[in-house]
Amino acid sequence: MGVWNPDQGGDARMLIGMDVGGTNTDLAMVGEEIVSEKVSNTRGIREALLKIRIPGRLAVSTSTPLNRVLAGTPVTVQTILVPGPGLFWPGGVKGAVNHCGDVVEPIDPQEIREILMRDRGDALAIAGKFSVRNPALEKEIASLAHAQYPVERTSMSYHLADLDFPGRIATTRLNAAMKETVTWLAGEIGAERGDVLFFKGDGGLIPPGYAVNNPSVLAHSSAAAVALGARYLSGITDCTVIDIGGTTTDLVPLLRGVPRMELLVHGGERTVTRAVVAQSFPYGGDSLVEGGLLPRRLGDALAFGGSHPTLTDALNVTGEEIGDAAASRRLSRESATSVIETYLDRISRAVSSIGTRHLVGAGYLAPFLVPGIASRCGVRYTIPPHWDCANAVGVAVSRVSLSLHARFDSGRGWVAFNGEHQPLRSMGDDDALVGICKEEVQKRAIAAGAHPEDVRDIEVLHVHSYDVIRGASRSSRIADVVVQVAPGITVKAP
Amino acid sequence: MTTALVFHPDFLLHEQSRDHPERRERLSYTIDQIREEGLMHHPAVKVIIPGFASMEAVSRVHHPEYLAFLEHASRTGGFIDFDTNVPPNLLSHALLAAGGAIRAADAVLDGEAENAFALVRPPGHHARPGTGAGFCYLNNMAIMVRHVQQRGLEKVMILDWDAHHGDGTQAFFYEDPSVLFTSIHQSPFYPGSGSIDETGYGPGTGYTANMPVPAGTGDESYTYLLETIIEPFAREFRPDLIAVSAGQDNHFTDPLTGLALTAAGYAGLMKGAVGLARELCEGRLVAILEGGYSVEGGLPYTNLGILAAMAGLDLRSIREPEVYREWLIRVSDPSAHTRVRENAHALRTRLAPYWACFR
Repeated sequence: MGVWNPDQGGDARMLIGMDVGGTNTDLAMVGEEIVSEKVSNTRGIREALLKIRIPGRLAVSTSTPLNRVLAGTPVTVQTILVPGPGLFWPGGVKGAVNHCGDVVEPIDPQEIREILMRDRGDALAIAGKFSVRNPALEKEIASLAHAQYPVERTSMSYHLADLDFPGRIATTRLNAAMKETVTWLAGEIGAERGDVLFFKGDGGLIPPGYAVNNPSVLAHSSAAAVALGARYLSGITDCTVIDIGGTTTDLVPLLRGVPRMELLVHGGERTVTRAVVAQSFPYGGDSLVEGGLLPRRLGDALAFGGSHPTLTDALNVTGEEIGDAAASRRLSRESATSVIETYLDRISRAVSSIGTRHLVGAGYLAPFLVPGIASRCGVRYTIPPHWDCANAVGVAVSRVSLSLHARFDSGRGWVAFNGEHQPLRSMGDDDALVGICKEEVQKRAIAAGAHPEDVRDIEVLHVHSYDVIRGASRSSRIADVVVQVAPGITVKAP
Repeated sequence: MTTALVFHPDFLLHEQSRDHPERRERLSYTIDQIREEGLMHHPAVKVIIPGFASMEAVSRVHHPEYLAFLEHASRTGGFIDFDTNVPPNLLSHALLAAGGAIRAADAVLDGEAENAFALVRPPGHHARPGTGAGFCYLNNMAIMVRHVQQRGLEKVMILDWDAHHGDGTQAFFYEDPSVLFTSIHQSPFYPGSGSIDETGYGPGTGYTANMPVPAGTGDESYTYLLETIIEPFAREFRPDLIAVSAGQDNHFTDPLTGLALTAAGYAGLMKGAVGLARELCEGRLVAILEGGYSVEGGLPYTNLGILAAMAGLDLRSIREPEVYREWLIRVSDPSAHTRVRENAHALRTRLAPYWACFR
């Protein structure tokens, strides 16, 4: 993993963003000026990587291929739960960890072996109540299952840190479904370039090791990418970013430069992973025109060699020059005008309901459609330079945003940072512990390639401490602290 | 069905001293369990952050002289008894706890939730009109009951299952036929009151029912008292609201008491109370946390069991970890049930002149 070196030459400061999309991979190289490029995915990711001939920090958004994994042939995930005492979970196995991280009931290896013999899946998710306080039982089950499920197809919930068993179960199942692909992607990109960072759904960057342990943070990252990119390119912090893509139009409101975050929901289950929220509409440049505007894609627009007319062709018929405009003329002018009206109406209604005053357009078709939407809504608009690769620019200018979950336990004499134990010699008050965690996450972020000025803004997400009471007296003290380097734009961006 | 969970992080601020058993960790472990179970985001649970009780609401039950004393002692520190000193800022913490009880009742009366559990501290049921006692300062239950009556409900049934007799709450309503006060508690034990003979006074005669139980009493006896005393009594009284003084110190691991109730036993008791509330008063039930000092082995599981029963969740796995099994065997006294039956018989006889269900 590369370490930021302020003494490195000018080229080394180049920020390279790569957004692996549905049909193309967008590349943006952000230095004194911005250079962008599109590479067809048919040539593979390595081909896109070869296009990067300059040194610099590479950040990659893999949202689209991961979303395809999730939407494609379902990965069958076998789930082993260790619920212990408390609320009932069907199919749970024996074993329990308590609040303090003590193993109060052992697992029964024979029971686990029988379950593994009886049921089979493509991947394995293991989640135990209070495993974030002690991962021993989850690790024991993973080791029993190793012959059937290798590491890249086994996900454990203790990496997630949150005290929320149902949320961890849903996230671990999602992680199990994605882990092999993410491991492969990390290997593929890592083979070409050693120093890669992955772009998260909350707009921050993490090293591959973190991504493999919790791949869910990589899913649905397109909204964060375009929001960061549009903000960086336009310099506007209070607006709604409107991203007009091939199959969808996404609206991402920004308040003081920060998009709204929500917990991801996958398969109807709430996860513990935060991601930028976009309001998404199933219409874009490739939406089919057939007796009206349909929320469906049947390949490229006629103007790009496709066989069916789309919204892009409608724009050409009304006077624009996008691609091979002559090829679009199969569509009648009447139909073209009508579907553009339909599109503008639908999106304008949504924009009006958000109550924004300023639209910032992104995506290839933004200059052709955003002015019409803004005029209908009576709001200002800006189409920033490099609007068509705002997503890749957003990935490039993002900063390293690691999170750290620390559990201090004076009785056992250790502190666990993200589940890994270290000796704890003395334990101060809550402020002192938060200070230790801030320092640790800063150290880790810098080791992962963050600029020292990027790690000043640390979010304290959770602090909770209490005395361990055995019988009637205090025996030790326990504290949980969760901190995160705030996601955002790196100071390295020119 | 929605259950309101009324909780404020500042409920953890009150502390008489670092080693006092009514300690903040009573809630820390429970909140950990509730968070880990996902109940902070559960569709059947609505988490509500309360505000302070008004002095008007508190003055309905406590003497102005006592409130003035608390106000003064909260600035300087003060002393009520050897169990109950007044640390700085006490009044603000006590008003927040009372506010929690009131907010729980409002959630139920306003239809935000079918029932509500106020996970408050400091507790209240030993506080009398003119003084605090036994870790209690303001009587959260009495303040809440007068609040709902002010809002138009007429009759309230209180079930106080804390291991200690709810002497303070009993004192408020001893002569009041609009409030049926029932208590199951260990006897002989602190505070020493709560005998079968205490059945009310004047117009309140017959509206107080004490069910003392010996040390070693467990699930079977509590179920017996629920079915043979509390349920028939409630059906004849027909309350507009059932209020539970939920003391979790009957648990077999509690370091201050000698009873043998389990987490499953607590969940079963609350399930019975919820059923009664549904049958008699459109489900209106408010539970207020009282005592309970088993921070690690008891409170997380008992409080979860109560919340789960109120929210209608699956109770099959409500239990303590296996490591406590031996403890339960040591604490349980098989002969206790016979004494409980004898006491119940005596109580029915004592109340028979006033209530047809006991004849």
